[in-house]
Amino acid sequence: MSRAGIRVYLQVYKTQIIRSMTYKFEVYGNILMQSIIMLASAYFWKALFKNSDTVKGVDVDTMLIYTVVSAMISVVLTCNVERRIMTSVDKGTIAIDMMRPVNVFGVFLAEDIAGITALVFQNMLPILVIGCLFIKLPTPAGPAHFALFLVSLFMAFWINWLIACMFGMIAFWTLNMDALIQVKKHLIRLLSGSIIPLWFFPAWLRNILEWLPFAYLYQLPLDLYIGKYPVSSAQCQRGLCVQLLWLVLLTMGFLFLQKRVTSKVMIQGG
Amino acid sequence: MKLLRELFHYLDVTAANIKIAFLSIIEYPANIIGWLLSNPIQFLVGFATIQFVVNEFGAINGWNYGQLAFLYGLSVISHALSMIFFVNGWFMGWWVLDGEFDRMLTRPMSVVYQFFFTNINIFGITDLVPGVIVFAYGCQKIGFCFTLANVFQILVLLVGATLIRGGVYLILGSTSFWTRSAIDFGAFTQELFDKTTMYPISMYPEAFQFILTYIIPIGWVSFYPVSGLLGIENGLANGQVATWITLFAGILTMLVAAGFFKLGLRRYESAGN
Repeated sequence: MSRAGIRVYLQVYKTQIIRSMTYKFEVYGNILMQSIIMLASAYFWKALFKNSDTVKGVDVDTMLIYTVVSAMISVVLTCNVERRIMTSVDKGTIAIDMMRPVNVFGVFLAEDIAGITALVFQNMLPILVIGCLFIKLPTPAGPAHFALFLVSLFMAFWINWLIACMFGMIAFWTLNMDALIQVKKHLIRLLSGSIIPLWFFPAWLRNILEWLPFAYLYQLPLDLYIGKYPVSSAQCQRGLCVQLLWLVLLTMGFLFLQKRVTSKVMIQGG
Repeated sequence: MKLLRELFHYLDVTAANIKIAFLSIIEYPANIIGWLLSNPIQFLVGFATIQFVVNEFGAINGWNYGQLAFLYGLSVISHALSMIFFVNGWFMGWWVLDGEFDRMLTRPMSVVYQFFFTNINIFGITDLVPGVIVFAYGCQKIGFCFTLANVFQILVLLVGATLIRGGVYLILGSTSFWTRSAIDFGAFTQELFDKTTMYPISMYPEAFQFILTYIIPIGWVSFYPVSGLLGIENGLANGQVATWITLFAGILTMLVAAGFFKLGLRRYESAGN
């Protein structure tokens, strides 16, 4: 990528951060909502563990850490790219966006990374503080676990963004996808382990989910963080390998779709 | 006599509005199919995951999963009803900013009535589907008897619960008369209600329970009446009396909300400010 290109993306990044700072009430609302979800799950687990010490190899303290860290991960996995593509196609501005001398998807990515940067301060830190005060200090299982967690979280971010971006590209073929976006949101929320870990799911379902990309958004990073498996264990290595595999597959899918979409817009003019 | 005539007039208009709402399905058939997929998936998968966990642990605060399904199902049903009739409360900010109340203020009917009933959201029906499915599953699991008395109790409960939800939406929405901004309370309200009506609130700390019982009466949407109906100890209102308190709480919440709305409406200055 040329130096001028990078400068453009940096400029987009900066502008988007400034834009994110303007909606104050939305920020408070989000913190409040995230805290409700987090506190409710914490009490849910506390109530369940009232009569049992460990279930599926974890105790209540681990489950509380899981809850806090999951709420924090959700900040890293927020992206707006699907809606961005949808409105762009809807309003017909996509053709102009694509004519510009920078990759339009690069611009969307820069915007999303900027949004997340702003959210780290507006959302992740407040959640951490509230989590520490009312639930539990989320300490990782160990330095090696924490390092692997960061690697896995980095890949989770890309997987999430690529899925969202490709999903958004459906808008080039059908227009109204509000309902579809909701389906995707709920499925990811429930099948990724973000609220309820996949260890509690029946074996047949777990076996399927382990091969789908959703589990690699929340479940794997969280497992690494709480130290569900030893660092050198087969589960750990296999998990990271499958995650990498999905990253490669989705990148290839993205590049392919990007070409298709571009030629479609070129022919029809948006 | 005059009062009766007015009541009939309102019923007449309501019937016409419901008819129009149904016609709007024909207008956008693709939309309703989309929501028919999306809403049931949300609640059915949501319940399934809870069930996996409760299966593992046996029960949550003395509620087994048949009873939880009963609670969850009824909660989703009253949610669906509130979506059909009262969802506009979520978007009140836009109504205030766009000066939409001008039109209603010129008409001879109650503004609160017009606000809710001229825009019945028939798509809320798609939420009813998963509610009924989970509820039926729960009934079957715990062997619930559909005697006439029980059916009556459930109807009273649903009316009360829907009114409580609608009242809370209206109170939150009415704050836009003062803030004059278009805040979307939707996601926030849904999250709050989901967490407090789909699980027994006895799992929360006592201070929360107190607020949910006496200050914001969300506990009466599902927890108290359902535990009353199923004979689970809730420490406050057992038996059928809980259902009647729900109805009372619903009417009271709606009256307070309507009063608050009217107070706000006095500050309303149409669009452009």
